[in-house]
Amino acid sequence: MTFHLLTRRIHLCLGLFLLPWFFLYGVSSIPFSHAPYFQKLYEDGVPQWTVRFEKPYEIQVPKEGDMRATGARILADNGLKGSFGTYRPNEKVLETYLFTFWTASRVRYFTEEKRLLVEDRRSRWDQILTGMHARGGFEQDSILSDAWAIFIDVVCIGMVLWIASGIYMWWKIRSTRVWGWLALGGGLAAFAIFLAAL
Amino acid sequence: MFSKIVRRSHMYLALFLVPWILMYALSTMAMNHREFFKQFFGEQPVAWERERELTYPGTFPEDAKPNDVARQILVSLGMDGAHNANRSKDGARLTIVRHDPITPQRITYTPADGRLVIESQVFRTPAFLERMHRRRGYQSDYRLDDTWAFSVDLVIAAMIFWVASGLWMWWEMKVTRRLGFAFAASGVAIFALFLSTI
Repeated sequence: MTFHLLTRRIHLCLGLFLLPWFFLYGVSSIPFSHAPYFQKLYEDGVPQWTVRFEKPYEIQVPKEGDMRATGARILADNGLKGSFGTYRPNEKVLETYLFTFWTASRVRYFTEEKRLLVEDRRSRWDQILTGMHARGGFEQDSILSDAWAIFIDVVCIGMVLWIASGIYMWWKIRSTRVWGWLALGGGLAAFAIFLAAL
Repeated sequence: MFSKIVRRSHMYLALFLVPWILMYALSTMAMNHREFFKQFFGEQPVAWERERELTYPGTFPEDAKPNDVARQILVSLGMDGAHNANRSKDGARLTIVRHDPITPQRITYTPADGRLVIESQVFRTPAFLERMHRRRGYQSDYRLDDTWAFSVDLVIAAMIFWVASGLWMWWEMKVTRRLGFAFAASGVAIFALFLSTI
């Protein structure tokens, strides 16, 4: 197998293997880019959050620093499981959001009232897609979540390899060099203008 | 002929969008490894460095909204562009953040003495990449920002087109059908596993 053929096969096979991710990132970017449109689409009176349960509860919340350990404790104490993140939007609330690719819930602990409120988010396609798009990182205690994050890295490396192999394949087709230069140069120039002028 | 149009469109579009795809690949890696980068930059938000301080001689109508005041100040400083403006609760301070992609700037205006403090954000590569990644949408009052949002939409359309045209080009090459099918099927299977488990 020649280097040229190997490059072509890598470009193709990588593309086919990573096709679901690439398609997901493309489609899920639409609700990010046109958020107001999707927001209007769901202005139908259905509440965004539905209460699952509410109860008195008490836990010490650190004033600052990483809240993840406290969030984990709240979830364990209340029989809740899954991927999560914890943050403190203000002094009075500690919020832990639980999520899968398809669902999302929030667990809010009100520090002054010593009260826990668990709510489920309504199912919306735009939020499911943006949730899939934004999912990443190695913070979860789950092998599959880490594996997903590794695949994100593979997609990123794949994108860099597509650029490199694509440029190589373009260069090999002599008849397309002029238009190719114009496209590549035009893109670089436009991007540079955005960087300088935005 | 149709096949040639598909192939050339696939290639020229990709050549034009090389800088965007590279930026999205690198920024996604930076966000996927946020914890890793914290080792180098710490957990604190990116710092602001004082650039200069001056007295602003202009006046504003009493009912001027924060955004109107911000726009007038930015224009007079020669820094007009995408920004947000927040007035402190007591009205003693107006904070304007100018969303420059490379060096965001913060301008703090104190109406009582007309003082303007201009600060620049320290440059950090991961923060710069993340800013670029998140910049999108048509909510800004600036035409250039809308043009950038359009370029983001072009990337989205291109990603969906590359999936479709890639599949088309693969199917046309009979010799790679079996190999390609193996890669595509394994990618879909792994992706489906993720969707159903995490």
